[in-house]
Amino acid sequence: MAAFPDPQWFAALGRLMEAEGELFRRLGYAEVRFVIKVIGENDDPVAPLVGLEFDGYRLARAVQLDDTAAFDPDFVICGRRPVWDRMLAEIARGGRPELRHTLSSLALVGDELWLESTDQLREDKFFRFNQTLQEFFNLSARLSR
Amino acid sequence: MPTVQIKDEARIGSEARYKYEPSAYLQKLYHSGTPDLGWMNQHGEWGVHARPGNLGLRLKDIEIGTYGVVPEKGGDHLSMAPRGAALPSDLPSLGFTVNQKAECWADNVMELYEEAVARQWSSARDIPWHELKPLPDDLERAMCQLCTFLTEVEFIAADAPTRWMSRINQDFLEVKLFLATQAMDEARHTEVFRKRALANGGGLGVASPPSEWSLKKIFDSPNFSAQTARLHLLGEGFVLTMFRQGEFLAPTRVDQEIFRRCMQDESRHVGYGTVHLREQLKSRPELAAEIHNELDDAEKILLQLFGVPEQVEPMAILMGGGLDHFDKGMELQGQLWRRIVNEYLQRCDSAGLDRRPRCLLPTDFNKFFEG
Ligand SMILES: [Fe+2]
Ligand SMILES: [Fe+2]
Repeated sequence: MAAFPDPQWFAALGRLMEAEGELFRRLGYAEVRFVIKVIGENDDPVAPLVGLEFDGYRLARAVQLDDTAAFDPDFVICGRRPVWDRMLAEIARGGRPELRHTLSSLALVGDELWLESTDQLREDKFFRFNQTLQEFFNLSARLSR
Repeated sequence: MPTVQIKDEARIGSEARYKYEPSAYLQKLYHSGTPDLGWMNQHGEWGVHARPGNLGLRLKDIEIGTYGVVPEKGGDHLSMAPRGAALPSDLPSLGFTVNQKAECWADNVMELYEEAVARQWSSARDIPWHELKPLPDDLERAMCQLCTFLTEVEFIAADAPTRWMSRINQDFLEVKLFLATQAMDEARHTEVFRKRALANGGGLGVASPPSEWSLKKIFDSPNFSAQTARLHLLGEGFVLTMFRQGEFLAPTRVDQEIFRRCMQDESRHVGYGTVHLREQLKSRPELAAEIHNELDDAEKILLQLFGVPEQVEPMAILMGGGLDHFDKGMELQGQLWRRIVNEYLQRCDSAGLDRRPRCLLPTDFNKFFEG
């Protein structure tokens, strides 16, 4: 089983998303393209960048990236390795992160996890589709570890 | 087909004040039995085949041929005739006053409308109300006061744009459709905050005259674009951060779900405001001076809004996690303020408005109290 942040790990979540169907349909479609960046102690990426794209109710793409700009993401979600690990561990335990540890909460404070974007209008898609993004990550509770 | 039985049929019309005369056309039809069919030869572009995309038949899929041409100036007939229909000469005017595309249009309105329709939610169904648990008194009071304030805000956010909605030329129907979704969103925000205040042993707090006087200035905007700058760009941008903050400071999962869903709605409203401003400035760069004046006023409103205890203190109590941690709450609030100002200025950048030199909002609130 591939581990976070391997594109295959996200692809597995994508399959769960399609199997869920109704939950994501009820949340409404999401059209958004973004990058996941896992950062180490000295602020360098410690894993290859992954580009993700939702085109409605499904994950259309999960690819390893050499060049973020060529992927033209709406935003990049940057987070330190222990923060991602903590979030995924909490999801594995309770089906969702603890209060103040959701994607949105962490990005609001901005020191453990933050967004990068060249255009605030595009960055705002993180908020427009936030429930979909959070539920997508919450599906990881169902991955065998 | 069986005849429908109508109660007291003989009495119907026995006291009617007017006598109905069938039109010449109906008399001819009933006598000759031959339909007129003249309407079949009057139509807009014909033979159109709009095709659904991967997410169904969306507005963007029907913006084709002449139907996809949004005029720079709305039709002079000012009537309810749909754009692209054949237009007879005696259509009644509804007296629209927003008749220029540049006054209301944003290229993302169709996308935002469809997204809004697809992402509607129900506070009755989608919020896990049964998970509410009693909170310490200070936290419940703070949450209820915040909900009271947000209800005041949501009333204006619904009443202000819909005030203009009926004045927008029907040829810009996509804008009107989007504003209708905004009204629905704001209605839901109004009721969800009211429900939250009444659901956990508290109740509504106190209405705030200073806040309402400030918010009233949004309602009283002299024109639609002025209102958009005040409401959609600055006001709702600020509320968006408040909702994100709400998601962060939520003492329960119920509160967290409420704020997260409201946050999604709010970011569509801000998206409209940013692109509307961008397109306005592109078509009429000289408007920048007017928009700066509007934002001078809007920023003043925002600062006034946060100069009263009923607004400042509930947020600080919730941020800190209780009255005992009020100082910590104020400190966190100060950090968030920087984010609010930063994102607002970035939205102005995105719209093509260099607001930085003119901005009244301090990046550091403490600066006000130094010296
Ligand atoms: Fe709202
Ligand atoms: Fe709004």
